[in-house]
Amino acid sequence: MTRFVTGRELGLMVCTRCRATVRAAVRATEPVSYGCPRCGARVHSRKPESLATTAALLATAALLYIPANLLPVMQTRSFMDIEDDTILSGVLTLIQEGEWPLALLVFVASIVVPLLKIVALGWLLLSLHRGWRGHVHAKSKLFRLVEYIGRWSMLDVFAISLLVALVQIRSLATIHVGLGALAFGAVVVLTMLAAQSFDERLIWDAETHG
Amino acid sequence: MASVIVCHACDLAHRRDPVLPAARVRCVRCGAEIYRTNGASIDSAIAIAICAGILLVLSNLYPLVTFDLNGALRDTTLLGATVGLYRQGYVPVAALVLLTSFLAPLFEISAVLYLLLPIRRRERALAQNPAFRLLMRLRPWVMSEVFMLGALVAMVKLAALSHVIPGISLYSYGALMLALSALTFIAPSEQFWHWAQGFRE
Repeated sequence: MTRFVTGRELGLMVCTRCRATVRAAVRATEPVSYGCPRCGARVHSRKPESLATTAALLATAALLYIPANLLPVMQTRSFMDIEDDTILSGVLTLIQEGEWPLALLVFVASIVVPLLKIVALGWLLLSLHRGWRGHVHAKSKLFRLVEYIGRWSMLDVFAISLLVALVQIRSLATIHVGLGALAFGAVVVLTMLAAQSFDERLIWDAETHG
Repeated sequence: MASVIVCHACDLAHRRDPVLPAARVRCVRCGAEIYRTNGASIDSAIAIAICAGILLVLSNLYPLVTFDLNGALRDTTLLGATVGLYRQGYVPVAALVLLTSFLAPLFEISAVLYLLLPIRRRERALAQNPAFRLLMRLRPWVMSEVFMLGALVAMVKLAALSHVIPGISLYSYGALMLALSALTFIAPSEQFWHWAQGFRE
């Protein structure tokens, strides 16, 4: 097997903003920060407090995931009745209308993706914390998937924002935002920030130094 | 530091060919893309950014969707989606929608032009580096393609109730989505420094 040499062993760091390779003044076995000579961003060998930050953001997101799914995200008021819609009931309505592909899309983007992000990042944090080795390529792929799909959960928030703007016909029907949408928006933002603060390199460090 | 390039995703050090005009390099261990320049001309990047800017203006001038409920017509623009949330007191959600559907794309387009136009004249934009860093920080929050799908979902839901008419903005915003993807593709961050260096020499 080839011996892999890391930047840290050579006293080199990568700028997270412009990805320039930067020489550290001393051998950076400890996280030391410098200004990137190319773009001026702070450069660290590893993102400082990465796991603690990710864990804190993720725990908040996991907690808010509950009201995001239980509370109504939208309320339709017409002269006949008042109807509350949660994320899931919105999906069920689409199924009843026979819009299968769209129902699947909303289900994946709004329910599966946030849950996957929380479970996957939680598992990665736990495995780094406990020093579980192995499956390093799978872990790295999982993280990239989480990072890539994160933004798609905004789908329902956008749909609600347009419905609220359009259906304001007082004599017939009005649509109002529900508290669930607030919690849901927070889950999207928090999970995106959690993924951004997670340092992928720690997955590989655990393998070589653990 | 031209001889070694370190992977941002797994910290593996790679020996690097110092002259790589247009290349896409993947990390041999983790497969992350660690270096990408495409040899595109700075003019084509500027042209796409201008095109995206015009599309963004158009997207704000015309209605996105018109909704016809028994003859009662109501339409909304791109910013109308934010205003509706704001009026109902959901300020954080309104801010999030405003940022991801309008402000972040607007900033991306302006920042690309602000950074590239001076380079083309062999100059350097004022506060070039902070502008570049802000651009990199905001890029993940540009969600125009997600907004397009969200608009589609909203339209299907409304179509169940009555007639829905797509507006001019919906098409221009769709085109904006493509222009922004092209911009990210043609002007990756490494390419920017490549241009900055090339024009100064």
